[in-house]
Amino acid sequence: MPKCVIDGREVEFSPGENLIEVAKKVGVEIPYFCYHPGLSVVAQCRMCAVEVEKMPKLQTACSTVATDGMVVKTRSERALANQKSVMEFLLINHPLDCPICDQAGECDLQDYSYEYGSPYSRYTEERRTFLDLDMGPVIVKNMNRCIHCTRCIRLGAEVLGIREMVATQRGNKTEIATIDGRPLETDYAGNYADICPVGSLLLKDFRFKKRVWFLKKTATVCEGCARGCNMDIQHDANVIYRCTPRENLEVNQYWLCDEGRFNFHYVHDADRIMEPAVRADGELKMTEFGASLDAARAALKGKKAAVLLGTDLTQEEAKLLQEFLPKYLPNASVFHFGTPGIVSEADDAPADKILKRKSKTSNLHGFEKLGFKGLKTLPTGLDAALVIRGGRATLPELKGLSTVGIGVFTREEAATFSVVLPGLTFAEKDGTIVNFQGREQHIRRAIFPAGNCKALSEILAMWAHGTGGNA
Amino acid sequence: MSDTETLFIQHFNEEARPLSYYLKNMAGYTGLKKALGMSQEDIINEVKKANVRGRGGAGFPAGVKWGFIPKQSAKPKYMVCNADESEPGTFKDRDLMRYTPHLLLEGIAIGSYAIGANAAYIYIRGEYVREAKLLEAAINEAYQAGYLGKNILGSGFSLDITVHRGAGAYICGEETALLNSLEGKRGEPRVKPPFPAIAGAFGGPTIVNNVETLAGVPFIINNGGDWYAKLGKLEKSGGTRLFGISGHVKRPGIYELPSGSITIRELIYDYGHGILGDKKLKAVIPGGSSAPVLTADEIDVIADVDPIMKIGSMFGSAGMIVVSEDYCVVKLLARISKFYAHESCGQCTPCREGCRWMEEVIERIEHGHGHEQDLNLLLSIADNINAKTLCALGDAAAGPVMSFVKKFRADFEAHIRSGKCPNA
Ligand SMILES: Cc1cc2nc3c(=O)[nH]c(=O)nc-3n(C[C@H](O)[C@H](O)[C@H](O)COP(=O)(O)O)c2cc1C
Ligand code: SF4
Ligand code: SF4
Ligand code: FES
Repeated sequence: MPKCVIDGREVEFSPGENLIEVAKKVGVEIPYFCYHPGLSVVAQCRMCAVEVEKMPKLQTACSTVATDGMVVKTRSERALANQKSVMEFLLINHPLDCPICDQAGECDLQDYSYEYGSPYSRYTEERRTFLDLDMGPVIVKNMNRCIHCTRCIRLGAEVLGIREMVATQRGNKTEIATIDGRPLETDYAGNYADICPVGSLLLKDFRFKKRVWFLKKTATVCEGCARGCNMDIQHDANVIYRCTPRENLEVNQYWLCDEGRFNFHYVHDADRIMEPAVRADGELKMTEFGASLDAARAALKGKKAAVLLGTDLTQEEAKLLQEFLPKYLPNASVFHFGTPGIVSEADDAPADKILKRKSKTSNLHGFEKLGFKGLKTLPTGLDAALVIRGGRATLPELKGLSTVGIGVFTREEAATFSVVLPGLTFAEKDGTIVNFQGREQHIRRAIFPAGNCKALSEILAMWAHGTGGNA
Repeated sequence: MSDTETLFIQHFNEEARPLSYYLKNMAGYTGLKKALGMSQEDIINEVKKANVRGRGGAGFPAGVKWGFIPKQSAKPKYMVCNADESEPGTFKDRDLMRYTPHLLLEGIAIGSYAIGANAAYIYIRGEYVREAKLLEAAINEAYQAGYLGKNILGSGFSLDITVHRGAGAYICGEETALLNSLEGKRGEPRVKPPFPAIAGAFGGPTIVNNVETLAGVPFIINNGGDWYAKLGKLEKSGGTRLFGISGHVKRPGIYELPSGSITIRELIYDYGHGILGDKKLKAVIPGGSSAPVLTADEIDVIADVDPIMKIGSMFGSAGMIVVSEDYCVVKLLARISKFYAHESCGQCTPCREGCRWMEEVIERIEHGHGHEQDLNLLLSIADNINAKTLCALGDAAAGPVMSFVKKFRADFEAHIRSGKCPNA
């Protein structure tokens, strides 16, 4: 492998790697704004300029490919002076409104200004200001904070396949905006907020909800479709505030779709049933597990029943059911369900050119692997159903059946159910799911279960023991 | 033609425009005919021997540039003529296109053949409406006479030339911004490398040359590279130069002289006939407004690429802006800085932020609101831009500021102390 020297440290690299990436390998951080490994290189911000031996001018590390024997100094006097100067240039027109900016705490401009900036400003002229137009439901824009890195423009054009962010005007008046001030159209808009290094593009959904330094991250996988994009659930005090993509070059690169990003809201939905409930006098009434388990058994006893398993359940849950069902509901027919029209693995296909899959549940491929059959139409002559799901699988039509639900349901969804035994969402449990590539991935518990919701294993154990435990 | 020392200027009149004149009086298209019988390497070698320094501003040897074009390419190759001519003080390409359009077309055709391009573009400054029309007319004539189009002169070589008008951005004269604009994209420079010779227009290997550079090519092919090189009086600079003299001289205009044969002083006094009103000379900007300014003591330098570089300025586009003693240099710098701030494309940080900042500070000083520390501030901003931007526009904006403030510091200080322009 070819080698170069960065700040006195020898480092091996693969041909084609740029100096920012090569430097990372030996723990040397070169500051940058416009570079993003998932986007084309434009060398516009000039923050990453370093000294390369035998080159008279500073070279931008993002656009300089390492060559064998190259000697690079990232902290030479000239490189440091340039970093300081770029910081000054970026800050002269910046509003410095970190105290009311959601990006504060995870802002490259803020972080670098501590590290490379000057505490004093030499700028005494009037600051440049812009007016912002509404960008639609996902993103809120603050052009005054923009550092013109053009990452958003490139994200749209190169990754999302849509040219909606553009630079208008030129020079000092350059404005980064949508074409004709229209709302964003992409259904991946949340990524704009992620790649914006400053507080110019922010999520409306997260705005003013939480200072980011209070948030804890749990590394998990999105359950929004059969891709299983890697992401972090960000939460504090048992409340989820947002989900952000986690890099996985083989699954989702650096991105998330909006549906997956905002999927978590059902976890805290006020309509979610979080206590065991039994229908009495036409209404679902809260009770305890003991009474509701009795009611569940009674609702299915002696009936011709189908068991419907949501493909949003984990492999562990599915395997448990493979043991449980033959013993305790031996006569029932068992099917998996999840997305209307997507019955088997073969039906799952890309839903767009970016990430989304047609299967809107996380574990269709896992269920098929375990040999479960997909539901096409319900068998005739049924009079009862047991529905078990994680929270995303689309419920089939169950009218007229005596229905028991285990898992996550809203009151509206359970309108015809006789009994509900509340279970856990993907954010409240650990488990394995299998994505469309056959890749086993792990979801991890980020928060404690809501209300009196219990793990499927616990509920089945209580069922098996014929007790309601002490819940 | 080889007995005269000028190539172009004797034809700068309306009669020279039609194809008939060109064929009769300028050995029109004989260079192309000859070139089509030569190998591509031989043509490039002649151009190398000719020592043509690019006339667009950077002075890069044209033959060397042509040699960078890869022989094999999956994508089509292109020849692009840079006719954007937007640098203040520069107006030579306009006359070449206005009076000798066929010379340019022939040069483009020879260059295209030499690099293996079947499509060429002339990217012309948007304001040159008349010249664009004249070029179109000349192109039509050339097509009809078989000098352009399919199977030129039975050689098997085909070439289409398209005139593309700019929309009023100086930055689109920078070659990679030009290519973006040509492709219908936002006119902003690209990161180099890759250089256009490797990946230029539409991703194909592309040569971008200035109008004057290409207009010299037919002479090189007809008379040989050595002949052209010897026209120049310096070792590494062949041919003649079109000098644009403007500002406070009695006879502004275009003058043609052998490369390296004359000093700036001679240009101003012998050709420009001296300063208006016989005033004293204050300053000269030697190569378009981006070139660092020279004082009256520095004008005994040979007006060519290397000698002017040696004294810390730039020969650029050979457009000399002459400034008389009674003109305010602060005002002049304010105007220049306003231009570069206005023309910055805005994509890279130091130029986008710094050019406007310099403009504001200089404007303040001009209007009597400057502070003592502003001059060092200006030098520092300029230094932070210089050589640190994506394209050379940053340098073009920084050079004048650094040179004016250093060389005419007293004028700036007088503005600051008296709170107004002392001349006003
Ligand atoms: C900001 C800027 C503006 C430029 N404008 C022009 C121009 O108007 N005409 C031109 O021929 N070259 C211009 N150039 C130089 C071109 O980038 C390029 O070097 C030139 O066209 C190459 O042709 P040559 O080698 O024949 O000189 C400009 C360069 C910069 C950085
Ligand atoms: S809005 Fe954000 S991502 Fe877009 S150019 Fe500005 S700083 Fe960069
Ligand atoms: S130096 Fe100026 S003109 Fe050139 S790329 Fe940067 S901002 Fe644009
Ligand atoms: S990261 Fe290299 S110039 Fe912006």
